[in-house]
Amino acid sequence: MLAFGILAVILLASAIWTVSAKKPVYSVVALLLHFAALAATYLMLNAEFLAVIQLIVYSGAILILFLFVIALLSSGVAPFSVGPNKMPKLAIPAVVLVLVALGAVTVGVAHLVVPVATSTGGSPVGPAGTADVFGSVGDFGKALFTTYLLPFEITALVLMVAVIGVILLAGDRSPYVPSQKQAREVRREMREAIVRGGDR
Amino acid sequence: MLPMSVPLLDYVALSSVIFFIGVAGVLIRRNPLIVLMSIELMFNAANLLFMAFSRAWAHNAGHIFAFLVITVAAAEAAIGLAIVVTVFRTARHVDVDDVALMKG
Amino acid sequence: MTHYQMGNPGSYPYLLALWLLPLVGAIVAWAFGPQLKRLAGPLCSALLGASFVATLLSWHDATQSVATGAANLVGAHQALVSWIPGFNFGLLLDPLSLLWTCIITGVGFLIHVYSIGYMEGDNAFARFFAYLNFFVFAMLTLVLSDNFVGLLVGWGLVGLASYFLIGFWFYKPSAVAAARKAFVINVAGDVGIMFAIFMIVASVHSISYGDVFGSVGSLSTPWLLAICICLFIGAAAKSAQVPLHTWLPDAMEGPTPVSALIHAATMVTAGVYLVARCAPLWSQSPDAQLLVGSIGGVTALAGAILGCVQWDIKRILAYSTMSQIGYMIMGVGVGAYEGGVAHFFTHAFFKAQLFLGSGIIIHALANEQDVRRMGGLVKKLPFAFVAMLVGVLAICGIPGFSGSFSKDAVIYGTLQHGHPVLYAVGILTAGITAYYMFRLLFVTFLGAYRGEVDPSDLGIRHPELAGTHTAHDDHGHDAHHAPAWLMNVPVGILIVPSILAGWLLFGGENSPWAHFFAQQFPQATLATPAVSEMTTTLIVLACVAIGIAIAWRRYATRDAQDTAVERLRTESVKMPAILANAFYFDAALDLVFVRSSQLLGTLFGRLIDPQVIDGAVRETAFSAQWLGTFVRSFQTGLVRAYAFILVLGVACFLVYYAVTAGGLH
Repeated sequence: MLAFGILAVILLASAIWTVSAKKPVYSVVALLLHFAALAATYLMLNAEFLAVIQLIVYSGAILILFLFVIALLSSGVAPFSVGPNKMPKLAIPAVVLVLVALGAVTVGVAHLVVPVATSTGGSPVGPAGTADVFGSVGDFGKALFTTYLLPFEITALVLMVAVIGVILLAGDRSPYVPSQKQAREVRREMREAIVRGGDR
Repeated sequence: MLPMSVPLLDYVALSSVIFFIGVAGVLIRRNPLIVLMSIELMFNAANLLFMAFSRAWAHNAGHIFAFLVITVAAAEAAIGLAIVVTVFRTARHVDVDDVALMKG
Repeated sequence: MTHYQMGNPGSYPYLLALWLLPLVGAIVAWAFGPQLKRLAGPLCSALLGASFVATLLSWHDATQSVATGAANLVGAHQALVSWIPGFNFGLLLDPLSLLWTCIITGVGFLIHVYSIGYMEGDNAFARFFAYLNFFVFAMLTLVLSDNFVGLLVGWGLVGLASYFLIGFWFYKPSAVAAARKAFVINVAGDVGIMFAIFMIVASVHSISYGDVFGSVGSLSTPWLLAICICLFIGAAAKSAQVPLHTWLPDAMEGPTPVSALIHAATMVTAGVYLVARCAPLWSQSPDAQLLVGSIGGVTALAGAILGCVQWDIKRILAYSTMSQIGYMIMGVGVGAYEGGVAHFFTHAFFKAQLFLGSGIIIHALANEQDVRRMGGLVKKLPFAFVAMLVGVLAICGIPGFSGSFSKDAVIYGTLQHGHPVLYAVGILTAGITAYYMFRLLFVTFLGAYRGEVDPSDLGIRHPELAGTHTAHDDHGHDAHHAPAWLMNVPVGILIVPSILAGWLLFGGENSPWAHFFAQQFPQATLATPAVSEMTTTLIVLACVAIGIAIAWRRYATRDAQDTAVERLRTESVKMPAILANAFYFDAALDLVFVRSSQLLGTLFGRLIDPQVIDGAVRETAFSAQWLGTFVRSFQTGLVRAYAFILVLGVACFLVYYAVTAGGLH
């Protein structure tokens, strides 16, 4: 219970920091802290494999990607320069108010709809750390490669689509135009359009 | 069913609060990178809920779902960052509000 | 109610032949007119002659088919279409339709032969005969049909044929206008019959004559009256009864044989046929009988009065036709069916003859139709004079000629059926008829020829509008050289029945006529009038004599002949406006129907359409535009705004679950 309290405080604090940090790089650091705390929470919930995945994938891969991008963009001149705010002044308090209300409602609904534990066909229950009980890597692996094989394969497809998409978007050459000259033309038009849109 | 030292509803409350902090980040911040990170926060809030319920019911379907969510989140982050890079390359700066070509 | 006798069912090839031969002629002449050229006339005439022969053979068949003795003609019934539920179309040849068929094919044949001579040299010779044969087919459909829908089909087709033939010379604006007027008024009548059929089907659930007449007793009195009135609207429009008569005088724009066949002998008597055919309906509805008889009487009188002030020879005959049909309608209306039908029979002969006789005159005078520019023709056209004289004597009811029998039968019939006012009207009309027919005869044939007199001296205001002599010169000159016998022989043949046809009625109860129609019409119990038939004949004769005497005094004395030009001019100029405008019927119809429709159209055009209809369309467009502008304001293009709206949607779901969560326990 105490551990949960500490982790909860860390999770909330790092989340707020992430959202409110002035520079994106601070956000990344806060997010790293958040993910680490989350991994600890997963361990508390017997999810050993997911806790490891959380650290490897999120902290190891995704956040590094964020850092790369920040580094890439920061080489330009004032990449995160902020123009005049187009949202009304009251928008931020209004949004916060709405979200607080929503959070309250969510918690209230959760209290009303108490999930009844009617598990059938669940995993065998045993002390953490033992093989093939709930939460163990063996249990998870069996489920993933037998019952949930098709979703697992589909994740491969999703990742492949993402890779192709990223190559298309961020690749040097635009695949939709035959020549570099035309690509430059298209880019110029897009830039003008974006600048126009911003000024409107 | 495994006995839980912490009540399930506490996890629900924690998860929802983190989720709405993420929502607030999406709605308020104008830096696309921070917006993307807020989205990651929301994903993780959802994952936390999956874990909690999976634990409560001692059923590993929640773990599988969380696994899938992580995959999708990775893909989303990659695509989102690629968009940010593309926008930066054409406009030389990134501001969520500047990309408003869809204005009617 | 006894079952209505519908004739013996069976197979009657001659009946089919007589019905379809004119259609064949029409199609062939229509399709191959350019190839047939002059042959179209003889071909169509021959087909119609064959049709007449087939009529006589069918008569024989129908008589033979009666097992109980050849004396009574029950009729022949040929089923044609029986696979459509509720619509059994067939041909019915009973005494009534046999009479009409004989006239249509017989007189029609003579008029066809006459037309070969009359239309000689016309550019559209083949088209004319195609129309004529088409008309005969349509008219046969009308009278031979054994149900109301078939009757309506024929009814509409004869109107169409009439339209074609009135507007035959379509390069004359007046002909086109007359054709259109005739068609519109006739269609108004068609609608009346259609409504009658609706009511009949709604109450009897059948359109067959046999079913309808057999169950007439089950109809309520107001319903029956409504059916009869709707039927009579059709009859009045087709038979030129007041107030729907105005198209008939204008219809004289058509070629003269058309006037003789369609607008004198056959089509315009379709109303008489309809009333006689529906005698079982009328017999059960005294109110309808009174209405029809009265309208017939008014028409007879109005036509006769207007006939006195016309100068166009064909218009005089047109008004006389209207007046004589008024007699027929009066007869069949009051219930004297045999008399009314007999007047149709005799009238078909003598009126066709009068028209054909006038056609000879018109033809000889290069299409001059104004009697003021005739005169003294007795020496030039003696045959025409004889033909016209016989016709005039017949129409006036001089004893021995056909008209006297039928007209007396009608007039006396009104008294027998208890309508003394109509009786008086009939006698008065007979006197006026004698006046204007002899006026026609005297002005046309006596005195000096006035064709060379300046038209204005004769009181002709618009010589270019009077008559048709400027209209189709293309055949006027050739016409003098056409073989005269082609026109004279049919007229000569018609003289015989014009004189003799009436003798079929001689003998009252035992006459061949009464025998022929013994089973056709419902027999009413007749009161014995205070005036005997012989007295009636004498009264009519006296009136006729007075009419002839006045006409003689005004137009035929030596003095009148010498001052004819001056007299005609005075008469033309000083004609009372009410007569010159034909009792303002045209103006009244114009005011009541045309103007009101125009007013309604203007109302819709100025107010309803631009304001209501267009307004609705405009408002729809405006509201769509407004909605678009409104919705567009949500499309800020800002990602965060979209996200916010997404969150609001989620909020809605959450609130929904919060509200309904209690039920989930």
